[in-house]
Amino acid sequence: MRKAKSARGSGLGARGKNKKTPNSELRTPNKTADLLFEIGTEELPAAYLPGLIEQLSREASSLFQAQHLPVERIESFGTPRRLVLIASALAATQRKPGEEVRGPSKQASYDKAGKPTAALLGFLRSQGGTLGQTKIVKSEKGEYVHLARPPSSTPTAQVLATLLPQLVGRLRAPKTMRWDESGLRFARPIRWLLALYGETPIRCSLGRLTAAPVTWVGGPLNPRSVRVSSPGSYRIMLKRAGVILEQDARRGVIEQEVTRLAQQAGGAVVPETISHGLLEEVTHLVERPVPLAGRFDSAYLSLPREVLLASMAKHQRVFAVESGGNVVPQFAAILEGSPRKPNDVRKVIERILNARLADSLMFWKEDHARLPLLRMAESLSGVGFHEKLGSMAEKSVRLRALAEPLAEAWKLTDEECGHLRKACQLAKADLVSAMVKEFPTLQGVVGKYYAKDSNEPAAVAEAIEEHYLPAPHPGGAGPPRLPRTLIGSALAIVDKYDTLSSYFGLGIMPSGDQDPFGLRRAAQGIVEVAWAIHRALPLDQLWRTRVSMEPFRSAASKDAAGSGHRIHRYLLERLYTFAWPPRPPGPPSAAQTGAGDEPSGRGGEPAPESDCIDAVLASPCDNLIDAMDRIVSLQQLAGHPGLRKAAKVIERTRNILRGAPLRQPQVDPARLAEPPERKLWDVYASNHERVARLAAEQSYGEATTLFGELFFEPLHEFFDRVLVNVPDEPLQQNRLALMQAIHTLYTERIADLSKLTLLQREETP
Amino acid sequence: MQFQQLIRTLDTFWEQRGCVIVQPYDVEMGAGTFHPATFFGALGKRPSRAAYVQPSRRPTDGRYGQNPLRMQRYYQYQVILKPTPDDVQSLYLESLRACGLKLEDHDLRFVQDDWESPTLGAWGLGWEVWMDSLEVTQFTYFQQVGGIDLDRISCEITYGLERITMFAQGTSDVYKVAYGPKATYGDLHLANERESSAYNFEHADVAFHQELFAKHEQDAKRLLEAKLLLPAYEQLLKCSHTFNMLDARGAVSQSDRPRFVLRIRGLAKRCAELYLEREQTHEKS
Repeated sequence: MRKAKSARGSGLGARGKNKKTPNSELRTPNKTADLLFEIGTEELPAAYLPGLIEQLSREASSLFQAQHLPVERIESFGTPRRLVLIASALAATQRKPGEEVRGPSKQASYDKAGKPTAALLGFLRSQGGTLGQTKIVKSEKGEYVHLARPPSSTPTAQVLATLLPQLVGRLRAPKTMRWDESGLRFARPIRWLLALYGETPIRCSLGRLTAAPVTWVGGPLNPRSVRVSSPGSYRIMLKRAGVILEQDARRGVIEQEVTRLAQQAGGAVVPETISHGLLEEVTHLVERPVPLAGRFDSAYLSLPREVLLASMAKHQRVFAVESGGNVVPQFAAILEGSPRKPNDVRKVIERILNARLADSLMFWKEDHARLPLLRMAESLSGVGFHEKLGSMAEKSVRLRALAEPLAEAWKLTDEECGHLRKACQLAKADLVSAMVKEFPTLQGVVGKYYAKDSNEPAAVAEAIEEHYLPAPHPGGAGPPRLPRTLIGSALAIVDKYDTLSSYFGLGIMPSGDQDPFGLRRAAQGIVEVAWAIHRALPLDQLWRTRVSMEPFRSAASKDAAGSGHRIHRYLLERLYTFAWPPRPPGPPSAAQTGAGDEPSGRGGEPAPESDCIDAVLASPCDNLIDAMDRIVSLQQLAGHPGLRKAAKVIERTRNILRGAPLRQPQVDPARLAEPPERKLWDVYASNHERVARLAAEQSYGEATTLFGELFFEPLHEFFDRVLVNVPDEPLQQNRLALMQAIHTLYTERIADLSKLTLLQREETP
Repeated sequence: MQFQQLIRTLDTFWEQRGCVIVQPYDVEMGAGTFHPATFFGALGKRPSRAAYVQPSRRPTDGRYGQNPLRMQRYYQYQVILKPTPDDVQSLYLESLRACGLKLEDHDLRFVQDDWESPTLGAWGLGWEVWMDSLEVTQFTYFQQVGGIDLDRISCEITYGLERITMFAQGTSDVYKVAYGPKATYGDLHLANERESSAYNFEHADVAFHQELFAKHEQDAKRLLEAKLLLPAYEQLLKCSHTFNMLDARGAVSQSDRPRFVLRIRGLAKRCAELYLEREQTHEKS
């Protein structure tokens, strides 16, 4: 970029007497002031606020940078009624260095008479340049008009007038709307804009609004406009109006207040209501939080904990209180502003909560009149699963069938088998209950209670609840919730396997981001649950049972074998998005985190090279969990010389086998002619059982290093001194059979190591 | 303030703000949104302001008269303002004050509500308005109706009349609400709640309603062919109510539901298109 030169003959150069060149101006200190920008809205959705607040400072930062506006600190805040940006010590002058912009070609820019064409003038207009700032530049492509824009300095206040509306335009929300003729879109209507740079009001416009140095307080009930003279006085003024602008401070106050109220009630806030997002939601539902304690009728304590919490948190956004692990009939509410008659407000909230709980209790009793749960399950024929797959009753029958191969692979006891069969039968029964119709998110939970109340074994009841897992960690971050029991894990797997296979059978498969039936999550869930319990996942046996049922049995699925292959493949492919290295098997502890779709947080662990997955998947993988064990073993061997040797052996044997067809199944030791091949055979003959045994014992690391150590040297010698592809065909076939025996000894049991990238890295040192 | 006075107060309030006070539509419907004044009023560019009471039938919400907050038939007061005035939120609050509510005494909230009527192909964004944690109003800025992006944004305000009177009268039981001179809400409605709940949940003939649905749907299509807009739309309303009845009888499975909804939505879309087509030819002539 040329700077000083481009100023010659242009506006800046024409200043003549001004000795200060733009370059020297760039070096003088830039004064600063604080910017306050407030977007006043009607009530924004609580769930959108954290995202909007975060975007506001991120987007502001990127715009300031792009616009050459240095700033010391950017903060953003939000309440339901306002989004606020405060940029501290923002430079008072925008100093843009000079720049050159290429325009149209010379030919297109001037007509025969040498007059500028419409194309050139249009270009200059769009760039805000003048003819005097142009020049002709020759390049390989020909001659072009360039606009040489001189360095410029513009008062920040002027830049902000166009920058702030752009900033609003960059904010994204999950759903946006229009509200007036301007066609402006936002999460909810924007009703005012306040923009102050230092004490200078910025008159920017957006839609039909123009910014003014005025904000609104008092909520929608008692709206008052207040003049704001400076960014500093704004925060003081809001505080005086009772508004806690800073979301973190607001969250802190609310947590403190509900904790205090719970203590006064002789208990503590139910921890789930804090962790399940209610605290976060309430923080973004109010800007002037005021606490209020209340009670409900203790008759409703006979309802299960989950139902009580759902009624309080979901329907009324109040915090439940517990003492000694039991919910007590009290709650802590957070109001907006200070109602004049808090007692009346409390009475109404109590009345409504009581009415809701009365409704729940009515459903509870109504459902109990229909118990035992087994009887409720009979109504499942009226609940559709999919029109081509029949009802939930039919699904339950399939679950029972699918449970058999799994029970066998897991070597369940007779008692456990009985529990699993019963759990399959009852898993979906609560879908016909009035309670689940009212609280769909309590499916499984309600089933658990109804199973207990029907005198079903605890293992069955737990399994009913657990079979909908895995579920995201209740607090958002953290490991997913997984089944803790054996029967629950089994039921979770067969249910998801049935769903996955059913839709695949109908030709419905996830593609790209299209996955309306949640099949990707189901497949991922199968892998996670099976790994956590660390039991076999026998894909072939599951499929053999599945294929004898709908939709594969009838004409609904013409290509059953193809479906089986696709299901199998799809499940195995989930390993690529699994969070490697996996958590140690077993239910996750609270300390373990980071189990999203993407691998994360592996610290000093071996890298989750996907080539290890490639290698294992190229070998037989009927048992998915065993395949995962093999992947982990290979990953743990990263850098071990034994792995490199084993990979070399697999690669060399594969290459030679690829070159010529093998027709002889067995090595004939009598026909081994050369010493190196006899030696190789001896190593094989006396050690192959050891390798096979280690693999069978799932000591894959040991099996791999042993294999490498055993065969690497003798194979090297063999290739140095013996030619495999000799014209004597019986001899050649015998040598190939030897290669095959060594190759498959490993690849049929563990992995095709020729897929490892460490081999490629070696070839190009 | 008695129930009937509340209606009169709202009528007066909105009449003074330029609304036509139209009357309840005489076909069963689940909500005031189905009233032609809203469904068609929201479409097109022509400004429109209307207010009306609409008896709303929600067969699945019946509680045999035993729940003080839920009924299978209740009254909505519906206001539709097109285009939306900038101060619509304060207008709404003013209307509550006109009804005798001392808002400063209460905890009033605007809680996110992404409103959607899948059967009408309509959606909008707005809030449930909570008074002391009870939803008393739905407040929506319409974005689409009949699957069509709206030319002008309407604001729909739907008051829960029973709940607002309960606040105004300080009653906790809807059936004890004073309706008019010497008559409670219960006097006028309790028997019907009991009997209709029994009908909706126990006695309604499923096969008969299934047949009704098919016939109304067929008729709506025939009338659309004949370009008889309002008669066709009435058949759609009947389809919608019949679907709700089947739902209350537990005769709609999870997989049936989307298909029923799609069938009704298809009709709604054609009605909306026919209406706009009319409006355009009307403009030209």
